[in-house]
Amino acid sequence: MGLSDQEILHVARLARLRLTTAELPGIRRDLNRVLDYVSQLQALDLADIPPTMHVVNMEMPLRDDVVAPSLSVEEATKNAPQVEAGMFKVPRIVESEGGGDDG
Amino acid sequence: MAKSLWMEDAVTLHELFVAGEVRATDIVEHHLERLNARDPVIRAFLHVAAEQARAQAAVQDRWSPAERAERPLSGVPVAIKDNIVTETMPTTAASRILQNFYAPYNATVVDKLYEAGAIVIGKTNLDEFAMGSSTEHSAFYPTRNPWALDRVPGGSSGGSAAAVAAGMVPLALGSDTGGSIRQPSAYCGIIGMKPTYGRVSRYGLIAFASSLDQIGPMARRVRDLRALYDVIAGPDPRDATSLPDTTDATPLSRPWRIGVPREYFGEGLDPEIRHVLDRHLSQLRAEGHEIRDISLPHTRFAIAAYYLIAPAEASSNLSRYDGIRYGFRRESRDLVTLYEATRDEGFGPEVKRRILLGTHALSSGYYDAYYLTAQKVRTLIRRDFDDAFHTVDFVVTPTTPEVAFRLGERSDDPLTMYLGDIYTVTANLAGLPAISLPVGWAHGLPVGVQWLAKPLADHQLLEAAEALEGLLPPVRFPEEVEG
Amino acid sequence: MSAAFDVIIGLEVHVELKTASKLFCGCSTAFGSAPNSQTCPVCLGMPGVLPVLNREAVRLAVRSALALNCTVRPYSKFDRKQYFYPDLPKAYQISQYDLPLAEYGWVNIRPSGQDVKRVGIRRIHLEEDAGKLNHLGQRLGDAVGSLVDLNRAGVPLIEIVSEPDMRSAEEARLYLTELRAVLSYLDVSDLRMEEGSLRCDANVSLRPRGYTGSLEELPRVEIKNVNSIRNVQRGIEYEIARQAELLSRGERIVRETRGFDDVSGRTYSQRSKEEAHDYRYFPEPDLPPLVLQSEWIEKERAALPPLPDAIRQDLIARGIPDKDVEVLVLDREAYQYWKEASPAFSDDRLLVNWMLSDVSRLLNAQGRTFGDCPVRPRQLVELLTLIQEGTLSGRMAKEVLDAMFETGQDAKTVVKQKGLSQITDESALMQVVQRVLEAHAHVVEDYLSGKDKALAYLVGQVMKETRGQAKPDLVNRLLKEAIRGGQTVSG
Repeated sequence: MGLSDQEILHVARLARLRLTTAELPGIRRDLNRVLDYVSQLQALDLADIPPTMHVVNMEMPLRDDVVAPSLSVEEATKNAPQVEAGMFKVPRIVESEGGGDDG
Repeated sequence: MAKSLWMEDAVTLHELFVAGEVRATDIVEHHLERLNARDPVIRAFLHVAAEQARAQAAVQDRWSPAERAERPLSGVPVAIKDNIVTETMPTTAASRILQNFYAPYNATVVDKLYEAGAIVIGKTNLDEFAMGSSTEHSAFYPTRNPWALDRVPGGSSGGSAAAVAAGMVPLALGSDTGGSIRQPSAYCGIIGMKPTYGRVSRYGLIAFASSLDQIGPMARRVRDLRALYDVIAGPDPRDATSLPDTTDATPLSRPWRIGVPREYFGEGLDPEIRHVLDRHLSQLRAEGHEIRDISLPHTRFAIAAYYLIAPAEASSNLSRYDGIRYGFRRESRDLVTLYEATRDEGFGPEVKRRILLGTHALSSGYYDAYYLTAQKVRTLIRRDFDDAFHTVDFVVTPTTPEVAFRLGERSDDPLTMYLGDIYTVTANLAGLPAISLPVGWAHGLPVGVQWLAKPLADHQLLEAAEALEGLLPPVRFPEEVEG
Repeated sequence: MSAAFDVIIGLEVHVELKTASKLFCGCSTAFGSAPNSQTCPVCLGMPGVLPVLNREAVRLAVRSALALNCTVRPYSKFDRKQYFYPDLPKAYQISQYDLPLAEYGWVNIRPSGQDVKRVGIRRIHLEEDAGKLNHLGQRLGDAVGSLVDLNRAGVPLIEIVSEPDMRSAEEARLYLTELRAVLSYLDVSDLRMEEGSLRCDANVSLRPRGYTGSLEELPRVEIKNVNSIRNVQRGIEYEIARQAELLSRGERIVRETRGFDDVSGRTYSQRSKEEAHDYRYFPEPDLPPLVLQSEWIEKERAALPPLPDAIRQDLIARGIPDKDVEVLVLDREAYQYWKEASPAFSDDRLLVNWMLSDVSRLLNAQGRTFGDCPVRPRQLVELLTLIQEGTLSGRMAKEVLDAMFETGQDAKTVVKQKGLSQITDESALMQVVQRVLEAHAHVVEDYLSGKDKALAYLVGQVMKETRGQAKPDLVNRLLKEAIRGGQTVSG
């Protein structure tokens, strides 16, 4: 039960990647081969096994609440493709498409 | 000087410089000359900072012997993998999406290198965002294996490995998420180490898979490797996963108990590599060490777990490349189109594949079956090693099942490429320190042996490697080899 | 349309914590600086950066959780909440998903005419704020683009998620008011809704009578980002009416996010794709679990200041009327003002009365609060003491207070400058009384013949002569004595 083109396009939308119809078959083949390979994990009985979220056992180190110098606005924005008034410029946000998918 | 300076190892260069026998300027010029002679073909570097290196050398030449001596890498040229950010050089991660990106800060390891007097020669090539095992997935150009120019140097730290092997630098930094230091080190006949997760700060390492990534040293000699390790390791307040400064447990006592996991010597291992490994093991036995047959039963699930965890984390880590604050941008009439066009043109096919895979593994309804399951398998793999290290000091395996493959041979076949990581990913999944050492030759190409130790036993591992060096073939340069 | 349904309301409140630096980096959190002047590689989401958690943010969050009766988890963790938006530099927000900092608290509210009601708090978690978008053009819809300012990106927030326990817009207002009051005593946040340091989203659904399914399954409407408590109440009221209307027509309510337009008082649909949101939460690999020692938590609990419920009991015990108690409790600055003044003054009712009437009126007129009242508590006490001693009449005291507000001077200084003090010297006053009696002998006769009103006229004449500075009851007594004395002499 591999991923359908529909599902792949849904995932691509979530990831903000555009896939052309030309590249879709190749991607579908590659993804499904990998998913087929990883499906072997489903055979394991993992009910009592805790996940390893962090490989070393350590606790959160905490930082003192001290203000450190920020970058200058010039430094902060020097790599930006479009800057206006010291801010990063983006084109029109079409709300119906923004912030998630509606597939 | 009988020998060209580029042929010397790092510690020797440093000692010559401290003793006033050579100038840093000469060291740098010899290496740049070597680089200029070899790199047009090998293409290990994405950026050569010749003028900065010369300026650094000129400053160091004015240092007193005491000033030279107190900096452990003064006078030593070093290359940095281009997924480690540098303020005075571009950092691209070999991706179009970061073309011309100049970070406004240095990675912690870069600061440490400069403090230690290292002379940074440039930034080395890699698979885009360190995703790959061949350096063919660089957005700019592939790097060639110095020992066989029609073959890959391995990856993703292929540029660093090739640069060290070819004598362009004696030392380089790599990063290792699933074998990205060790595999190219094996393919290029050098030494590469992935430290215990948390030993070396990740601050400034462009994240691929945050829970697996580690920066590590690459060199031709163990003592060079150790010198670089000592400079970069240690706690960093800017990395919440960096380990507190605890010294390694017990000193290493002889004979060593060496575990040989049968799962790493089975089907898929090139018989010639197996032969090289067998000879290595008999040498160890002859040295009086104890060789034990052990089992790491969950090894066969490692690739599957790895290829869920790493892409999942990568999909998240690479979301920030959106064309707004830095990097490549394809202008578009609205925001969503801008995101999609930018990321479509900015990322290469392998990166996109992994982003899709990882996004799917984390998406609603699949998280438990994929990401969570993989993290549980990770626990099983850790337990395998915990059990093994109750009875042995080290685990010894081949670094790779095969020698360096030909350029283009695997680029259309991701799964086969992934399966090549079988011997290296477990150290990342379990957070262990691991070293690949050049142990011999097969098919006329270098073969690596991998030594693994328990977490935090980095110094024991380095100590063992240093003791082993006498058993390894002498350092050679790929002079006579041409594609 | 008599209620064929129950109103179910839950609130999600975001509170910016008052730390000096951001949650995961050292940039300042100060409000109102030049765009992007408080950013660094970490909060810009540059390649290679890592977060390091701010200790003070954890402390303020724990303090809030304890004050809201929550159980603080000894072990919590951070997760990434992923979505693309220009104000979110990493395209994920570091938040807490399944193991939040604290859970299971409550707030007591007092709906008028009803018993105290407990509104549950489901969870409190720590997270980073997003940046700010400035739209080029009038509204988002017709903007030609937006400018991104990341000064706010990474400022620490707590999100306080209530249980769906509120049953009316009024209860929601009371909950928010009480929540804000509790937080104000903790000094954990500026709590300025207009600056965004307190933000509220309201979830409103109607549950038909006889509905047996779970609340989760009811179609829920989320009203986003309302900028005042009053507007939260208005938005909810509108939404209840709108949904009731739909239900009465037999129409379906769509699960969606709606905005509130404070001019029209209506909510409007923003997006109806809540279902399709897929945040792909997963544990933040860059941050180990947050482990809090119980001794430390208990130390924070012991350090909590008196909170509204305890303060109410104390004020009521002092005989302050309930209505005034509520006003004082909900305005922490007023309460602190009272607290500073109270030990030096014997009559709490008089003190509170003056604070909440005359002082409040002057503060409102100047757009000030008790926190920056030009008349300090000590000065108000001095003024009220002059009333108590009889030096000033109430009317004169108001005049003095006005001047104190203007000049910041002490009451006694104002009194002296204006020559305002009541004449309490009997011999001085007696001279005036004698003069008035001589000048109005016929009125004295009227009085003596039994016309009580005549005395009031004489009092008025004395007050006139003294320009109001005499104390009326003293004048009264002196007049009677003088008339009686005169009688004796003449008779």
